Amino acid sequence: MFRHVFVSQSLSPLKVAFVTLLVLFGSFGVGLSASATGVANASDADAAETEESSSPIDVMGKIADHDYIESPFGKVYLPRIFWVDGQFYTYSSTKKALTSGDFIEKEGVIYRADETPITIDLSITSHLVYVWLGFILALLISLWAASRYRRGIGRTSAPKGALHNIYEILYLFIRDDVIQGYIPKEKAPRYTPLLFSMFMAIAFMNLFGLLPWAATATADLTVTATLAFVTFIVTQASGTKTYWGHIFNFPGVPLLVKFILTPVEILGLFTKPLALCFRLFANMLSGKIMIISILGLIFIFTELFGATVGIGSSVIWVSLTAVLYGLKVFVALLQAYIFTLLSAVFIGGALEEHHHEEHDVEHDDVKVMDPINA
Amino acid sequence: MMMSLFLAGSSLLSFNTGFAIWILISLIVFLGIMYKFALPPIIKGIEEREQSIQSSLDAAEKALREAEKISKDNEEVVREAERTAQSIRKEATKEVEEFRAERMEKAKEEAEKLIEDAKKSIDQEKQKALQELRKEVTDLTIEATTRLLQKNVDSETNRKLIDETINDLSKN
Repeated sequence: MFRHVFVSQSLSPLKVAFVTLLVLFGSFGVGLSASATGVANASDADAAETEESSSPIDVMGKIADHDYIESPFGKVYLPRIFWVDGQFYTYSSTKKALTSGDFIEKEGVIYRADETPITIDLSITSHLVYVWLGFILALLISLWAASRYRRGIGRTSAPKGALHNIYEILYLFIRDDVIQGYIPKEKAPRYTPLLFSMFMAIAFMNLFGLLPWAATATADLTVTATLAFVTFIVTQASGTKTYWGHIFNFPGVPLLVKFILTPVEILGLFTKPLALCFRLFANMLSGKIMIISILGLIFIFTELFGATVGIGSSVIWVSLTAVLYGLKVFVALLQAYIFTLLSAVFIGGALEEHHHEEHDVEHDDVKVMDPINA
Repeated sequence: MMMSLFLAGSSLLSFNTGFAIWILISLIVFLGIMYKFALPPIIKGIEEREQSIQSSLDAAEKALREAEKISKDNEEVVREAERTAQSIRKEATKEVEEFRAERMEKAKEEAEKLIEDAKKSIDQEKQKALQELRKEVTDLTIEATTRLLQKNVDSETNRKLIDETINDLSKN
């Protein structure tokens, strides 16, 4: 009944182009995917009354955030919490919010009955549920591992069991290769818990996206942006004098160049976490879209050429999806690793204590004159 | 504008403030529990194990080095003992040799002394005998002379007398 509300109601040409671009990079079925999104888009306009979309596949609906979670047993609607003009409104579902009479829905947007727009929408969404699930799973496994270490397994003896071993391998990998590789060794222990927690949470959020009915929380820009924001804050908070010096007053550079360099450096402060945010988001989203698009080809072929072709060609699409699933498992862990690695690199860069002679003008002159280095 | 949308997250590239607030709160709670309860025992446990492994490795190496040193010391001691034993043996042999030589010397001296003493006493006895003999001869000569002087009848008698004396002498 409310499906239409959640499918992007305002797909601007730019957004369509972006999705198409993602699909273009992700799969070879460019035209089909474009038509798929196009169909999904078109369905928004006339699907006001019909629950079932006229499109065989709904790419946007699969990747978008919802007010319900899909489970193998059907949809479970989530509570809505609105903050309007300094007042909280809570309902157990969207339907309840609308039937209560306090809120009305206009062109897919919910307003308060007096047509005041919602200030902050604090509703529990499907992506939030999977963020929580990622956190909870990371927590449960860590607490389980902690209880084992507390009992002495792993502390006085070698770790026992596959799960414990995998956990420790991941921890040691993050600590030794990722964190200590880029953050000065004496300062690394301060950042190990944060970065390892981030790694675990992102890895579980990514892996949850592999469940057919589940949503990939990290395929949501809000999630990745918030995670990158944490990295950004930690990076700036741990910035040394040298770090800030290099941003606002780059040593050993003529004054004129500083006028160009400083804005670039300040821009760099923000582009780094932004890249972090978009990398994770785009990677996870493209994987999701790829799977939906390729599986959707079965239905599109059925619609275009009849059931025989659709079912016959499904062998190809299903096997291709199986291969992509293997790739997605790898990408899920890889992207969690890359996020952690780049966070460590940024924090390590902010922590660096350079000796100033290195950037002295005379020193640089000597370097330039050196025929080997020049 | 974005946040006023029905569910802002539904459009692909939008940022949903309410959702972000939720994530931040959840992240802080998550990190809080991780920092407070989950990670310290893991970090400490692994560190402890690494340290204990490192320290046992160090201890093993130290023990090995000590054992090597001890065995070297033992060898040195054995060699020293052998050296001492050899020197003692040598000394003993030398002492024995010296002692034997000394004893031989002494024995020789004693033997020589004994021989000399014997010789001396033989000489003395000989002198004594000769003296006695001389005295006897003198006495006999005196007696014979006396007899000769007393009974000087003829030369035949004299010769007889002298012969008798000589006979007597040889009898003695």
